[in-house]
Amino acid sequence: MLKKILVIVLCLAMLVGVFAACSDKAEDNQEPGATAAPEENTEPIKIGVAAPITDKWAEYGKGFEVATQMAADKINGAGGINGRMIELVVMDSKGDPKEATDIARRFTEDEDIIAVVGDFSSTCCMATAPIYTEAKMVQLSPTASHPDYAGMSEYMFGVMGRQDAEGPFVAKYLANKYLGSEKLAVLYLNNDWGVAAHTNILKGAEEIGLEVVALENFVDGEKDFTATLTKIRQTNPDTLCLVMFYNEVSIISKQIAQMGWDVQVCALGPGTSEQIIELGGEDVEGLATSTPFYVTEEDPVAWEFKTEFESKAGFTLNVHSACAYDALTMVAKAIENLGDNVNREDVAAQLAGMKDFVGITGPIVFTADGDVFRKYKIAQIENGEWIQMTDYDYAD
Amino acid sequence: MIDKLKNFYDKRKTIILLVLLAAAIALPFLIDKGSVMSIIVRILFYVILASSLNIINGYSGQFNIGHAGFVLIGSYTLSILAHMNWPVWLLFLVAGVVTSLVGFLVSLPTLRLRGIYLALVTLGFSEILRLVALNWTSLTGGPMGIKGIPTPWFFGLRASSPHNYYFIVLLFVILCLFTSHRVINSKVGRAWMSIREDDHAAMSLGVNIAKYKSINFMFGAFWAGVGGALMAPFYTFIDSSMFSLDEGFNILSMVIIGGQGTLIGPVVGSVVVNLTTELFRFANEARLLIYAIMIISMMWLRPQGLAGTSRSVIANRSLGRDRGAFFRKLFKKKEVK
Amino acid sequence: MYLLEQLVNGICQGSIYALMAIGYAVIYGVVGLVTFTYGEIIMMGSFSAFYYFIIFGDNLVFALIAGFITAAVVGIVVHKVCYQRFLDAPRYISLICTIGMSMFLKNFATIVFGSEMKGMPAFMSGKYIELGSIRIAYMQLLIIGVVIVLSLLLTVYLKNTRMGMKLRAVSQDKKAAALVGINVKTTTLIGNCIGCGLGGVAGVLLGIYYNSVLPTMGGMAGLKAFSAMVLGGLGSIGGAAVGGTLIGIVENLGIAVTSSGLRDVFAFLLLVIILVVKPQGLFGKKGN
Repeated sequence: MLKKILVIVLCLAMLVGVFAACSDKAEDNQEPGATAAPEENTEPIKIGVAAPITDKWAEYGKGFEVATQMAADKINGAGGINGRMIELVVMDSKGDPKEATDIARRFTEDEDIIAVVGDFSSTCCMATAPIYTEAKMVQLSPTASHPDYAGMSEYMFGVMGRQDAEGPFVAKYLANKYLGSEKLAVLYLNNDWGVAAHTNILKGAEEIGLEVVALENFVDGEKDFTATLTKIRQTNPDTLCLVMFYNEVSIISKQIAQMGWDVQVCALGPGTSEQIIELGGEDVEGLATSTPFYVTEEDPVAWEFKTEFESKAGFTLNVHSACAYDALTMVAKAIENLGDNVNREDVAAQLAGMKDFVGITGPIVFTADGDVFRKYKIAQIENGEWIQMTDYDYAD
Repeated sequence: MIDKLKNFYDKRKTIILLVLLAAAIALPFLIDKGSVMSIIVRILFYVILASSLNIINGYSGQFNIGHAGFVLIGSYTLSILAHMNWPVWLLFLVAGVVTSLVGFLVSLPTLRLRGIYLALVTLGFSEILRLVALNWTSLTGGPMGIKGIPTPWFFGLRASSPHNYYFIVLLFVILCLFTSHRVINSKVGRAWMSIREDDHAAMSLGVNIAKYKSINFMFGAFWAGVGGALMAPFYTFIDSSMFSLDEGFNILSMVIIGGQGTLIGPVVGSVVVNLTTELFRFANEARLLIYAIMIISMMWLRPQGLAGTSRSVIANRSLGRDRGAFFRKLFKKKEVK
Repeated sequence: MYLLEQLVNGICQGSIYALMAIGYAVIYGVVGLVTFTYGEIIMMGSFSAFYYFIIFGDNLVFALIAGFITAAVVGIVVHKVCYQRFLDAPRYISLICTIGMSMFLKNFATIVFGSEMKGMPAFMSGKYIELGSIRIAYMQLLIIGVVIVLSLLLTVYLKNTRMGMKLRAVSQDKKAAALVGINVKTTTLIGNCIGCGLGGVAGVLLGIYYNSVLPTMGGMAGLKAFSAMVLGGLGSIGGAAVGGTLIGIVENLGIAVTSSGLRDVFAFLLLVIILVVKPQGLFGKKGN
């Protein structure tokens, strides 16, 4: 009898030990709220990266991983942050808010992690905001663009640019002024980003009296749009605005050509993605899109970044990865400004106060909420290449 | 070896259960990291979900692969009503009841179906529910989901941290396992098992197949709904992508790996699968490969699951042994008309 | 006119489902087990054509052959891992195995091929026939043609050749077939490989038609193929083709009235209704 009780107690002890070991494996235990006040500190500075490295947004997550590592390597190569090397802690959120929440808990509990770059989707960022806020830790998202996100707390930041700036731009300038549209049709991807994006387009269209004759959506993964396109065609628009990412844009362009439908197409979302040209061929000729930045050979820094990124990632540069690069550079700069007193809370104030940061994607100055109002450019595909339309007074 | 463990357990049931209970209650005080605690809470969620699926698949032999749909109903019910200011404590139960009703509705057209036809219908329903949730934006928030789901009060404290929420979930886990245990060992449970073994024989012995199949679906759906409802306040945010077919397969794999048709099977399954995916987190993409290999290996090496005994019917079936004896023993307690 | 256009859309799309479903019908008919790996086999066929085009250039016929062979080889692996051991075991064991296998193939493809979308060279692009105001692209005609030809060829093959007879015998009753001296193990394997190969061909055409090849393309494809087959009647090749076409039509008409987001709802509703009303499918022969 005694032996049996002993066995049970031993098993339980082992179980507890396993859990304790798991939790101690990655992190050191310090008292919460400890600030690193070093005399001569050469320990690495850890920055967390949360990205959807697997599952459906895998290529964007991978882009994050590559771009942030490139930024970290560049800074480390130039001596690091005040002599301390950056170490990235990358975790895969799979684009799932549940996973993102678990990652947020991990990151906030690791005393060495000073700030976090991530996540990709506004949904994940908004789900984790309460956790990061409670830990007074900065979450700088390269791509979250939901207008409600950054305002959630003083620790939430977004670099991509709010949808309520891009949406109206597309409606007012791209569709109306540049393309001369009077009857607009909108086809959008039905996810959190797509809903926010197209709602803002509609708002902008309403403000200038641009008639929206058709509004359709589709779920992620859809490949056959002939039924929807036929439906839209019935309403006779002169311009079709696609709110989605590069893969569907190229598929839809092909199907439009197949239908023999001669309509002007513009897009919000893929930016000047080269994958569109690769996949779409001559069917995407004439496609116009809005983009916050544009990389040409004339800008050697950006061009070098682009070539290096493409050789490391294996696919072409997209705006999301460029934003991730800038996000990490910004966070590193903010930490650098703290000098010897590196702690979590002050990073937020540094970021909020940074007025002169210029990254690959252009100048980034945060609003009071913590996001960015970008200025957009128009680019169009001519002869199989993206050409930036520069002779318009709003394209600065 | 697992049989020996079973023997050991059978003889000292009460003591073992009391010790486990004490350990379970003590756990949050021994672990101080919230991130570890939230993994444990997640394991507990899946214990409830896997148990509820096990009731349907393991005990009545009906093949349900659309379990995610039931979880969805529970989660959304709680989230929607919580935003209308219903008390969260009550909502756990309400969610279970609503899901149970849905379970009843799903069972209606499937009463005549068996095997793969039944599986397909459940799959179809699961996807239909998910797509409706995705598209019905005014009710479910559509692709934006529902955020800001409040957590329940617990003796005057808001139970939002993993350490506190753990106790709520633990309570429901115990309730789930306890009620399942009672139902399985009652007349209802025996009727289920007779349907599982040979429904024609059961019918000829006077068992009302339709009634018990429905009850089975309702019971399984109830707990799936409670499980889904428990998850919502913990993550404070839900959207339809959390209830995809893959999630349903995830729960199914826990039931299979743990062992269908036993009470402890889903517990084992949940622990094993969730711990494995956590431990292999560093491997990123390879993590899912490892998970896949684990599933395949289980089917090769031990198809009755980790907690299934080699006396189980499933093990015997795959080895072709006589199951008549099992069936006869099952019916010793039931009156033969 | 508009509805007619949508109807034609539906038939064209349905023919793609039908193409996928035919292979599935062969597999289910001969092996007798439901599989969740079929979608991934289609995907592998697609990728093999993608790489074929890159390495060897734009030859459609050879790409189709490459797709067939690759898918058949993957089919051998799937058979050895998921079916062979479990032919006499409870159905769910092989089913779970195929779920695991599908997960494995999908993630394997993601790691090896990369997760970004890939395109295929365009064949017969810009060429179409016109019926009134409705356009049908050559590619769509090709697919419809392939479906019809394959269905006929298969039916003839199964009825009139020795191998075909063996396949039919095994699909009807394995034990009886064994008694008559047929090597059930080999025949099952061959039937599975033919079915998988057909899936590979479907994958190639699918990739070209949509100009989109992704490691995740298998999931929905497999489900739709499966639904089409059940709709038409388990194991019936003509039934699968008709089932696929029917799903396409119902989906497109549904979208015409509501929205593209509900496409799969219509497909699944159709499936559920048919299963409840007539479980053995439209042309189903054997009772469960």
